[in-house]
Amino acid sequence: MPILPNTKFLAWHFMPYSEGLPENVDDYESLWVDFPNKFFDPKKGHALYERYLQELVLCDKLGFDGVAVNEHHNTAYSLMPVPSVLAAALIPQTKGSICVMGTPSGLEHPHRLAEAYAMLDVMSGGRMEFAFPLGTPMEYWASNVNPVTARERQREALEVIMKAWTQDGPIRHNGRFYNYRYLNIWPRPYQQPHPPLYLVGSGSPGTIELAAELGFGYSSTFSPIASQLAAQKTLKERAAHYGHKIQPHQVPIVCMVYIGDDDETALAEMEPHVRFFFTVLTKAGRYLDAPGYLSMDEFRKRNGRMLPASHGGAFDWSAIREQFRVVAGTPKTVADMIEKWAEEAETSRIIFQIHRGNMPHWKVVRTITGLANEVIPMLKERRRLADEKIQVAAE
Amino acid sequence: MNSVLDRTKQSLADFERRELKINGVSTIVYSAGVGSPLVYLHGSGTFPGFGFAKHWLKSHRVIIPYHPGFGESDDDSRIDSINDYVLHYLDLLDALELERVSLVGSSLGGWIASEIAVVQPARIEKLVLVAATGLIIDSVPSTDLYTVHPRDLLSYLVADQAVLKPFLPEGHDLDFLTLRYKETTSTARLNWERSGNPKLGQWLHRISCETLLLWGEQDRIKPVKQSDVWLAHIPNARVEIMKGVGHLPLDEAPEAATKLVSDFLKEKPRSKSAAIPLEKRAS
Repeated sequence: MPILPNTKFLAWHFMPYSEGLPENVDDYESLWVDFPNKFFDPKKGHALYERYLQELVLCDKLGFDGVAVNEHHNTAYSLMPVPSVLAAALIPQTKGSICVMGTPSGLEHPHRLAEAYAMLDVMSGGRMEFAFPLGTPMEYWASNVNPVTARERQREALEVIMKAWTQDGPIRHNGRFYNYRYLNIWPRPYQQPHPPLYLVGSGSPGTIELAAELGFGYSSTFSPIASQLAAQKTLKERAAHYGHKIQPHQVPIVCMVYIGDDDETALAEMEPHVRFFFTVLTKAGRYLDAPGYLSMDEFRKRNGRMLPASHGGAFDWSAIREQFRVVAGTPKTVADMIEKWAEEAETSRIIFQIHRGNMPHWKVVRTITGLANEVIPMLKERRRLADEKIQVAAE
Repeated sequence: MNSVLDRTKQSLADFERRELKINGVSTIVYSAGVGSPLVYLHGSGTFPGFGFAKHWLKSHRVIIPYHPGFGESDDDSRIDSINDYVLHYLDLLDALELERVSLVGSSLGGWIASEIAVVQPARIEKLVLVAATGLIIDSVPSTDLYTVHPRDLLSYLVADQAVLKPFLPEGHDLDFLTLRYKETTSTARLNWERSGNPKLGQWLHRISCETLLLWGEQDRIKPVKQSDVWLAHIPNARVEIMKGVGHLPLDEAPEAATKLVSDFLKEKPRSKSAAIPLEKRAS
């Protein structure tokens, strides 16, 4: 089956600090939370920001529908502790949508988040989309917010943000964590009532339920494909229960892609960077656990593990390619795979991870170019041909 | 499937188990022995059990409740401050019809015990604080256990790790992990944002009963020097320091530690005015 009509293609960058890590980086159990920041060289950091932003801008120029950034703290895994700053830098350099996915709502004062996101939406002329994660356990180790109350805070902070965006101010909010006498944000969002919103998570039933209740989109980027599909099925069922109908764009899929001359070479060229990503950058050691991050039932269901094993530092290339949406090859190979994944997820929103681990600039540019000039047009053309066929048949 | 927690439970095999609903929370209380009531408040990890408590059974009615969110008691997310624990225990003492008790608290239990004694001093016959937490002492910093790698934790808890080995699982033990997760979560609810009650020192002078501060010389979590600060705050207190033990004296040297407690509880009350001259108190 060809892709759904109006399918949107986004490019997502993780912006890791992948160059200049110490030679003995393998001796560190975690590259998160307590990984010494003396290893961050500001000059290298500056060069990386320039390069990474250029890569996203190139995606936009070549015709991707949008670009995406996200948020992590205290880590070489990602140089994006404040993704709104990156979005602000991208606004004047891009034309398409910008997805910030994003600041955990309970880790920031919710009125500040509502303001910052509204500013971005107005500045961009309504090109913003936002996804709210709960934040990994590691983010709670890096902040002063109690992980035990993370979910309750997330819920109340979202309530504050939605009030701030959708109700005429000034309004009051009296909650357990937040008390506002004059919730009255200036500016209000450009898109009314508010920009497209998503929750992102690791498949916790609580997060899916919250997305369903609010009528938000949902995706779990780091879960195996089967559990992602199960989560999105649950989302649709539960959202219907709350009177929302989940649209195909609300169940995005995330694909790790690489484009090369032929399938075999492409796979070999991609592998070291995915390996670096999993064996070095995702290593979070003991900080994968934070007290109270999961409900007791979910803790037992996960057999005493907080996050999927992907954050454990191990690397099994074939298992990774089976579990996650990873594809390397010619544009045709990639297009075929994307088509299959989009069909099984019934989605019209495809997010490409265009850079992985320590992938050099030329490989990223080749992937971006291949996606923009060949894969995406190929997928759209197949859709168009299928539509023509339907039309001919109908006539 | 067997869990190492079966061994933890053995220490209470001869105790009577009661389940009480306290303000809606199912609270499990074990009791045994005859004599004046001794309520023992446990620390933030209940996995080593209560093997030491048998030494008190001849002289006391020993009452061991599990805090809400710990051990066999139910979790209650509404209980998230030290004040909630204090009020929970005042409710529990009422429910058990205990007018006046001796309170023995270890670590987190020591914090709760000291706060109860601050609020209702007249209700406490005698108070024993074993390596208590709760007081924030900048001059003798505590170890923040959240910053200790789990593989090093045992060496912080006890001087001789062999003491705890029988209570630790050898392989994957989901029941054990779940208990630890539940108790770490309940503890974090209380102390993630700050490690104790910054105002406790301001009110410890209200504790009127005789108080024993029991400390292990090798305590790596609450260094033994902290006992001096408690001593300075509590009007009628004295210190016993045990050599060769760490943060869990009752588990590490059960006979010696319980004897120190029993002897202290047996002592005839001293005259208060002799212990703290009025003029000193006024300053």
